[in-house]
Order: sequence, then C-alpha cells, then structure tokens
Amino acid sequence: MKTNFKKNIDEKNIDEKNIDEKNIDEKNIDEKKDLTQEEFEEYIAKSGAKGSFMVYRSNKKEDELGLDEL
Amino acid sequence: MSTKSSDIDLQISIEEVMKKKQYENFNKWVTNFSLNLPNIWNEKSAKILNPITNNNFEERDNSAIVIGRGPSINKFEHLKLLAKSNYQGNIVCCDGKLADALNAGVTPDKFPKFYVVTIDPYPGIRKHYEHEIIESYGSEIKGMFTVLTDPQAVENARQKKIQIHWLHSLFDYNEGIKSFNNLSAVMIRAKNSEHRLPAIQTGGNVGTAAWFTAWQILKCSTVALIGINHGWEETDSWETIIYHNNKEEISEGVDKDSEVFKKLYKKIYNPDFECNCILDPLFQFYSEALKEFIERSPKDITTINATEGGSIFGNRIKSMKFNDFLRKFD
Repeated sequence: MKTNFKKNIDEKNIDEKNIDEKNIDEKNIDEKKDLTQEEFEEYIAKSGAKGSFMVYRSNKKEDELGLDEL
Repeated sequence: MSTKSSDIDLQISIEEVMKKKQYENFNKWVTNFSLNLPNIWNEKSAKILNPITNNNFEERDNSAIVIGRGPSINKFEHLKLLAKSNYQGNIVCCDGKLADALNAGVTPDKFPKFYVVTIDPYPGIRKHYEHEIIESYGSEIKGMFTVLTDPQAVENARQKKIQIHWLHSLFDYNEGIKSFNNLSAVMIRAKNSEHRLPAIQTGGNVGTAAWFTAWQILKCSTVALIGINHGWEETDSWETIIYHNNKEEISEGVDKDSEVFKKLYKKIYNPDFECNCILDPLFQFYSEALKEFIERSPKDITTINATEGGSIFGNRIKSMKFNDFLRKFD
C-alpha cells in the first residue's frame, strides 16, 4: 500500500517552479511534517467535516471487500 | 513499495477517528433504515444487477467507467469525450455527477447499461436527484442505494422514475449476530427469506463505493475511473480545498498560516500523470483506503485510472489518458 501520509513531497521543493518533478525521491520526504492522529482528530472536530461514511474493517479480511449477499 | 508499520498504524487510527465521528449519527442511520424498510421489502435487491445470472452476459462487454466529480473531469472535458464515443460498457455514475453527465450527453439512450450509486445517509444528497434533466432519463437508469440512504433522497430518485435497487453498506458486520448490518438484513428478509442484498465496502465515499459495485455487483473485469481524483488541483481555490467544496456544511476552516496547515493539506506528486495534487484530510483518508482496496482486489480485476490527475496511483493501478482508454474500448 502506498501512502500519502508519510511519503509527501517537501513543500519547499515542490513550490519551486524549476524542480524536475519526475525526479522527486525519498530524500525529499519530510518525516517531521507528517499528520498525526491528534491533528486529524482536531481538524474533524473543529471543522465538522465528516465525509460520507466509514471504512469497514473485519478480522475476516476477505469480508472487507464485500459480500455477495446478506 | 513496502509500507511501514507506522503508516498502517496512522491509517488505522485515522479510520478510528472517522468511525467515531460517523457513529455520532448512528440513530439517524437507524431512522433512515426504518423509513426505507417498507420500500426495501417491495423493491429490488441490487443482486439482480449481477449479469452472470443473465444469459446475454458477454465477457467482452465486461468493463465499466466509474464517473466521479473530481476536478479533472471538467478540466479535461471527459464527459464530452465519453458522450462522443462508441463505448459499449457500463457507466457507473456517482450521484453528485449524475445531472452533469446527462447534460453532457452521457445518457442511458446512448449508454444503456447506466447506473447511479448513492451511499450517503445525510440530507445533503437530496439535491443530486432534484435536477429536471433526470426526469427525462430516470426510467432507464438503474439506481443502487444503501439501506441507510436518506429516505427523501431515494424518494426524489423514485419520483424521477429511477429504478431503485438496494444494498447494504458494511460497517459493523464484524460484530456478529447483534450487528446492525445483520439485524437490518434479518428485518429485510422477514417477509421473504430470499430477499437478500449485496453488502459492499464503501471505502468511506461514493466514488470508492461505485468502484466496488462495478466489479463486485456488475462483475466488470476492467474498471476505469474518471473524476476520481480523491484530491484537488493546484488551480482549485483555497476556499474549495479548505472546505472540501462543502462550505455550508463545514463549520470552521483551517487558518492558512497555522503550523498544522501544511500537514493537513498536503501537496503530492502523481508520477503517472506528472502533476501535483493537493489532499485535504478527508481525501487523505479516502485515497489511502481506495488504493489499499485496489491492491487487494481479485487479480483478474484491472483498475484503470483515466482521471488524468489526483492521488490514485500505485500498485495494481494502470494509468492512461481517457482518450486512450476510449480508443482501446470503443
């Protein structure tokens, strides 16, 4: 699974017009700028943003992809 | 690319935050279900949309285009391209883009295998079925609605003659016999034990839910995405981005000068389409889930991202321009 939480591109670099964006690599990842659960929770609480629904998780991993009928 | 355990932990904890937030509306879901139940008893299960039970099912027709309302769809005029094409497969439209699709000429007259999907339990979606143009095509459109959908939204669709088909949105089935998913299924079967509904993973949003319906219910082996950015374009206004294009429902934006701002609104690079994309916190949550499920989908399912932007790229995702997809599948 790829993730956008950790492997973001350094903001300073990406804002520079002349950057060769194809060559952005792991060196540009700024671990210090990762979103934390607390920050996400605060955003959700303050903004009221709730999205549409939740992601379903189960101990039966195959069930997470759906069931033909219930 | 391998995933660090800290990435997974963070995604899990964010899903927990969203789950907690969603559960604040649990009573509303139960109310919605109760009001929908008499109609669910009398209307069809989305199970009948499975073409494998249909003798006319042909493998070669077995593809779908999922239409979302992400910013790329207008930027690249994808609806216009589709309307002009001879595409023969399934159209699976997210509710929020239905009226635009019909207005652009993507209609069930031209594309007979036309579906619309709704998952939201909130009244805010009623507007998606209020547009006049829907009335002209409603009777030819097959709608898939979760049993928790806002009843008035379904009624609006019904009034526009859309063919209603019901499904479950999985959320607590893992809790067993007393789970609401199970209890609601038992109530639905009370009058007819054969009246069983498919149960889908929504991934938290209608775009991901539409992708699931395309391969899980419609049995499409190739699913193309347009307007499924799960992110914003750099050219979108900050107001659109900060408020998730939903200012009326979001009480407080985030101070653009605050320390946390850059963490909440990340700019990422999409190497497949060679463009940048801005993710708000909700899109970070949605994007991670969809990419995970694409990676975990059965090996005979091909997902083609023809959005030409956004945050959906990585393992098991084939990216191509929408024009190229249409040329290939025309």
